[in-house]
Amino acid sequence: MTGARKLQGDKLSEAEAIERAKQGDAEAFEALYHLHKRRVYSLCLRMTANTAAAEDLTQEAFLQLFRKIATFRGESAFSTWLHRMAVNVVLMQLRKKGLAVVPLEETFESEEETSKKEPGADDVRLTGSIDRLQLKRAIDDLPQGYRTIFLLHDVEGYEHNEIATLVGCSIGNSKSQLHKARMKLRELLKTSKAEKAAKP
Amino acid sequence: MSRSLRTVSVAVLSVVVLAAVASSQVRKEFHYQVHRRASVSIFNEYGPISVKPASGHQVIVVAILHSDKVEVDQNHGGNRVAVSSHLLAGADPESGRVDYEVWVPVNASVVLHSATGPIHAEKLHGDIILEGNTADVDVRDLSDGHVHVKTLKGPVTLTNVSEGHVEITSVSGDVALNSVNGPFVQVNSTTGNIRYDGDFGESGEYSLMTHTGNIDATTPSYASIDVYAHSEQGKVENDFLLEPSHTSFAARAGSAFAGTVGKAASSVKLLSFSGRIHLKKR
Amino acid sequence: MSCEEFQRILPELEDTYSLEQEQHLKTCSHCSALVADLNAIAREALLLADIEEPSPRVWNRIEIALRQEGLIRSAQPAAPTLRKARWNPIWLVPVAAIFLVIFGLLLYQRGGVEPQTAHVLHSTPLPSLPEGVSAEQAELLKVVAAQTPSLRASYESEFRAVNAYIRDAELAVRRNPNDQISQQYLTNAYEQRAMVYEMAMDHGLQ
Repeated sequence: MTGARKLQGDKLSEAEAIERAKQGDAEAFEALYHLHKRRVYSLCLRMTANTAAAEDLTQEAFLQLFRKIATFRGESAFSTWLHRMAVNVVLMQLRKKGLAVVPLEETFESEEETSKKEPGADDVRLTGSIDRLQLKRAIDDLPQGYRTIFLLHDVEGYEHNEIATLVGCSIGNSKSQLHKARMKLRELLKTSKAEKAAKP
Repeated sequence: MSRSLRTVSVAVLSVVVLAAVASSQVRKEFHYQVHRRASVSIFNEYGPISVKPASGHQVIVVAILHSDKVEVDQNHGGNRVAVSSHLLAGADPESGRVDYEVWVPVNASVVLHSATGPIHAEKLHGDIILEGNTADVDVRDLSDGHVHVKTLKGPVTLTNVSEGHVEITSVSGDVALNSVNGPFVQVNSTTGNIRYDGDFGESGEYSLMTHTGNIDATTPSYASIDVYAHSEQGKVENDFLLEPSHTSFAARAGSAFAGTVGKAASSVKLLSFSGRIHLKKR
Repeated sequence: MSCEEFQRILPELEDTYSLEQEQHLKTCSHCSALVADLNAIAREALLLADIEEPSPRVWNRIEIALRQEGLIRSAQPAAPTLRKARWNPIWLVPVAAIFLVIFGLLLYQRGGVEPQTAHVLHSTPLPSLPEGVSAEQAELLKVVAAQTPSLRASYESEFRAVNAYIRDAELAVRRNPNDQISQQYLTNAYEQRAMVYEMAMDHGLQ
């Protein structure tokens, strides 16, 4: 750990660390891990909403990356390559567990209609006042399929055509689910805000 | 009588079948206005892509989708146009096929990817990147830009490419360069054969390298080259009378020749690990 | 345009609106509040990208696995740049400079061999590549076959070809460590294999 911090302190470049990692340099592996661990772990944690599962998936994503590092040619960003690998690891895990990666259209429309009728929530505006902690909780409360699309697009920055390929749905479906995820988050945040305002 | 009836029946049946096939195809056309140095990328898993120059500052994409198992996604931001085929569940190489015809400004940067191809580009001056797996790649009448081609086993043919920076990487596809010259021309192959037919330009670095493929370079007697050819395990042949060059000719296993022709304007390296090399005089 | 019409097409719009849609937003407070809220959520979400930190045990487990799989190799005779990074340059600048000069002289005598290439070929036992494909390549071929069965045989033959290239190139470099052409063959061979990996992974990830 100390060595890696020193390397980071001396600004070992990512390119240098990659080349050394290809030679089996332990400190280079560690440096690369520390450079990218937060992004990968944050992705895994938000997708699974479970710390233990997120740690396992983070470990698996980095191991897959390090096994294949000799093939990295540098033509795309290393972080993009790693990130894509991490997303695939998470999606495979979700599929193994039988969790819907993309929700069925019919299942959630009735829930949305019910939530829209909640008294007081419609009057609350969100603009300029989104609490990050509340947003994180609301994301955790999203159904799995909505959460996956929302995280991939709005948090991780994937385009709809990339999401459609990763998740195995159509582009139109990806756009529709993202919109529904945002609408659901809007309702959850408004409810939370209204509850907070109502407390003495 | 029966024969002519049979002929008519076959003709009618053919028309019906063709109509049925055509009716399941969908044609989409997209037009984009762009400025100078536009960037255009087409990503297509199955099917051909052909790119030609357009008049004015516009990009036109015509896509023919062969079934409803594939959709076309297009993205236009500022000077960048990106079109990609997206396969839906159940798509295969037939149903997932999209045929693209694209027209771009002559100076546009172009990136084309098709696993099966064929891929064709002509009469452009911008940078071009072409990628395929088994796709036939055919590029002609380009100048001044970078041309990068990557393929696994599709044959690659470049014709009349001048003043270009050319890099071709092919694992097992054959590579043919006809009248290709420029400051930098490099071909790397594992098992594909490499054929060059041209005069190697007036100055430039040419490197044709393969593991087991053969290299045949045909050049006129007036070519001006400093050539080094070597094969670890294969035969080398040379039709020219070479002047000895100044570079040290290190003794190593295999067969080799080295020397200059004319004023040695261009540097030419012909390297095959175990294939045959022949420098021919046209 | 009605609110119902606007909200029906809203999922497709992605921040670009027609004149009619913009007009509706200007005149309809309900839809403009909706759009503002959804945009605010998207903007705030961007800030969530990398703020969580995994526990130290994650790296510990990764390191153990890397050692077990032999991906971490025993310490090489350190290259001067690595050794330099370990030392405080203020205290050891003259020592590092002398070391660099000596190393540079050694390089000059060897005729310009890349230090990393020399280390790979002389200090590390060469990995013995199998006749066909490696275990890792076989795994990747399974993934490709799952997505596109028709391409499996093609990728397998490409892997065999590039593996054979690497074998021959490594032998050539072992025979002539200072020979630039042999080194060029090896570099090309690795690049070719990396390209096959990249294309196979693209297919496997689809």
